[in-house]
Amino acid sequence: MKDIDKLQKRNRKLRGLTELAGSMGLAITGLIGLLFLGILIWQIAEPTFIEGERGEITAASESIPESNYRFKWDFPTVDENGKLYSDPVVVRFQWNDENGFHSHDVQINVIDTRQVKTDIYIDSNGVDQTEIEVGRKTNFNAYSSIRVPVSVEQISGPVPNADKTGYPSVNSFVITGDVHILLDDENEQVFQPMELIAWITLLILVIVLTWPIVATLKIIQKLKGRRTLIKLASYVLAGITFVVSDGMFVAAALGGICWIVSGVILYRIAEGIERLESLGRELSEPSRLKHSISDRDGVLMWSRMLLFTSALFIPLLIDIPFLTERYQDIFIPYASGIRAAFYGTIWVMLIAMFVSIPISVGAAIYLDEYAKPNRTTKLIQALVTNLAGVPSIVFGMFGLAIFVKQDGFGWGLGPSVLAAGLTMGVMAMPIIVLAGQEALRSVPRTLRESAYGIGCTKWEVTKDHVLPSAMPGMMTGTILAMSRIMGEAAPLVVIGATAMILFDPEPLAALNGGNVNFTVIPIQIYFWTAEPDHAWHSMAAAASIALICLLIAMNSIAIVLRQHFRKRLKS
Amino acid sequence: MSFLNRISKDKAGTILFLTSLSVILITLGIIQTLLFETITFFTDIAEHRGWFSLDWDFGGILSASGFAFLILLVALLIDYESKKEKNRLSYIPQEILNPHHGIMKAIFIIVLLQLLLNDSFLLGISILFFAMIWRAAGKLQMKRIYGGNIEISNTWRNVLFLFIFITLFDAITMNYSGAFGEFFLQNQWTPTGACEDRRSLCDTMSFGVNSLLLTTLQVAFGALLIAVPLGVGCAIYLSEYAPPRLVAIVKPTLEILAGIPSVVYGFFAFIYIGPLVVEFGEYAFANGWIDDPPNILNPINGAIVVGVMILPLIASLSEDALRAVPNELREGSLALGATKIETTMKVMIQASLSGIVASIILALSRAVGETMAVTLAVGTVAVYTSNMFLPAQTMTAYIAQRVGGDLPFGEIGYLTIFAVGLYLFFITLCLNLLGNKVLSTYREAY
Repeated sequence: MKDIDKLQKRNRKLRGLTELAGSMGLAITGLIGLLFLGILIWQIAEPTFIEGERGEITAASESIPESNYRFKWDFPTVDENGKLYSDPVVVRFQWNDENGFHSHDVQINVIDTRQVKTDIYIDSNGVDQTEIEVGRKTNFNAYSSIRVPVSVEQISGPVPNADKTGYPSVNSFVITGDVHILLDDENEQVFQPMELIAWITLLILVIVLTWPIVATLKIIQKLKGRRTLIKLASYVLAGITFVVSDGMFVAAALGGICWIVSGVILYRIAEGIERLESLGRELSEPSRLKHSISDRDGVLMWSRMLLFTSALFIPLLIDIPFLTERYQDIFIPYASGIRAAFYGTIWVMLIAMFVSIPISVGAAIYLDEYAKPNRTTKLIQALVTNLAGVPSIVFGMFGLAIFVKQDGFGWGLGPSVLAAGLTMGVMAMPIIVLAGQEALRSVPRTLRESAYGIGCTKWEVTKDHVLPSAMPGMMTGTILAMSRIMGEAAPLVVIGATAMILFDPEPLAALNGGNVNFTVIPIQIYFWTAEPDHAWHSMAAAASIALICLLIAMNSIAIVLRQHFRKRLKS
Repeated sequence: MSFLNRISKDKAGTILFLTSLSVILITLGIIQTLLFETITFFTDIAEHRGWFSLDWDFGGILSASGFAFLILLVALLIDYESKKEKNRLSYIPQEILNPHHGIMKAIFIIVLLQLLLNDSFLLGISILFFAMIWRAAGKLQMKRIYGGNIEISNTWRNVLFLFIFITLFDAITMNYSGAFGEFFLQNQWTPTGACEDRRSLCDTMSFGVNSLLLTTLQVAFGALLIAVPLGVGCAIYLSEYAPPRLVAIVKPTLEILAGIPSVVYGFFAFIYIGPLVVEFGEYAFANGWIDDPPNILNPINGAIVVGVMILPLIASLSEDALRAVPNELREGSLALGATKIETTMKVMIQASLSGIVASIILALSRAVGETMAVTLAVGTVAVYTSNMFLPAQTMTAYIAQRVGGDLPFGEIGYLTIFAVGLYLFFITLCLNLLGNKVLSTYREAY
């Protein structure tokens, strides 16, 4: 008996040990997975600090150790039209050998033609050339056949690592954002007074709506009976804001909307107070006021979102030259920006949304509300599920054959924004349909049945009862689908997007015969990564960060919307 | 007439039906464009070289494929014998049929690893099959000896027959030519050739898609090798062990990570993973394990980055599957005295296995169809080699690279991308159908 006890004890010990090892292993695997993902995020952000290439030739202390040495001549100084204007570069080679001290100057002229190069050969007699011509963006070599080190020094000529506009040259964060608050660097005002007043009014009203206090409500109480006047006044102020603004369209539009939303909030509060009074309640109970204002949650959400959005444009004037001002520079990586790509992305997304949302929401409603479970429905359902998993490049080939080329079924739109938007819309369609169906399925059955019970038709039930409850899910799905196609580059490579675009893309160029070329941010990243030069990689990292920031913003809007509507559905 | 009546009665329904018809139209459009150009491609080659022809060579029995054929034949024999009647294999000692678990697992891992490194793909597959049949036969014998319900299925035998035919075909045919033989069975992919006129077909062009397919599979399965342990481990940790507060942070992070564009991952691979892999490759080259010096662009690089890409997908889908298991199962297992790890490994994973498998299949489909990251990480040289440190080209990367040069409509290069695209579409479609089917079985179960 004792032996068996002992055995069991030891077994238990062993079992506990394996138990511990197993669960530790699992936990460690999980943590490693999480760590992996965390490191990934950090690493994606990190390469922006890649050390850029110096534009100068080499420091004087560097020596040529008997073999060959390669020069890099990447950033010659150019003017606005891309013409070279710099002085020639003079390089001095110096060495000491058995014949004594040697010093030779070589003049390097950078010319406009590409792929022209002349190598420099150094032997015991000296340097074979005193003046060479080199095309821009061309590498050329200095070969030395002597046994002693040769030092290289730049004597004259431009040092192109920091150009005349003072763009950051090396080792610096390339997304430069200038944030001006009310005044810019020269102490000049950068805001429009009307918009600023509108924004402040909205801010105050949002605070009042969030925490209703008796003192403030007393003031609003005086406005009762003049509700129409409030609305009218807000419209008039919005109109004035729009007329007075000189040229700043976005700020003026946002200011106008701020006025209107302020009017709506004031109207609702006054309405709520009147309702309370007609019930014979006192104002000293603000919690009652919260319930008497119709749709307080919704108004609060929209006004808060408006407040945050317009904060960027009205009181703070955020200005990111990398994103919205600079085009790609032909020669200087650090002077490049992604303006063309940014606007291209926005246009492609807008066209894709315009194409895909009505069709796919309609299809989702049909499949979930109208369709009888017959063979056609099953077929469509299977097709939708499988289309969502088709590789994106196949959609690109579909777009190439149907939208871009003009033959057979082709529409002949060319490699244009319109063709890209249509292709992306087609790609987003199955994703939105699936998300919409999921949302429609989550609407409780009782809601539909009670609506039918009071005599609604099928369309009325769908439009007035099912769709509003399914809206958050649909919106979330749509935003997620849009953020997915925003980062997609493969179909656009197939369609024929190119990287070197020095103008804003025209969305309808394919129809009225303009310049159809366009680019988007992922394409820009792809082509910059494929460049051999390390400095372009730094720019690719900067563009990646810009893209990821945009995506995270979109995803968080989706998450916030979902949380809000989920809370509302619960209550 | 009833259809017309319905239209006039319910306008909204009809309009909505038309919108959903567009989905059918899109699918038909995709298949039509791919199929149309692919048929043109095959007809073009067939006019030049005929449709299909074979050269028989029975000396090929002695090659690696012939050896694979023999192994499969032995496996078939074992399968047949073990299922025929009771104690048929009793003259084989039990220790050989059922060795220790640890040895068993080690053998399986070695067999799977040799599949990646083996030059002959068919030989690797046949060894894997042999190991599986051996295991199945061992289990059957155990059941016969100790009792238990014995279900004999003949699925394995059918699969074996299929593979026996494939290996035999591969062993005794030395040359395939003609349009189909060249495309599906040859290994050399040189679609531009060394011709003066690259636009039309010439003799030096070769269209053996296996070169692209091999790299695609290397990248996809390599990615699974990384993503499955980490992803499933992550899912188990999140659903069984992690505190709810951590889950609330990690879940949205996973969503955002899954949304990071593939070109950014490609950049990441190009800048960071490539040089790391090259360092390992240099070490291997210095020790003589590989014949050629490593390149910064290689399939291992692609496999790692695609593995990281599909990790969030596997993690979130598997976690959903684990959470869908009813709590009674977990509580019942714990009440019987099983520890937490036993509950996880023997109850939760068993119960949610189909969901986990579905997530793996869908992730495989995503890995096969991945384009930009692979184009940047793997390279653009189509070679048929098992050395994974050399630059290669996947099917998607070929399409992206070839089409970048603005192809004129109707020339041979334009047609090749559609042939490759149709093959890719077919592979991913099969994987998706399979994955969705498995997914729906687990959704029905709970």
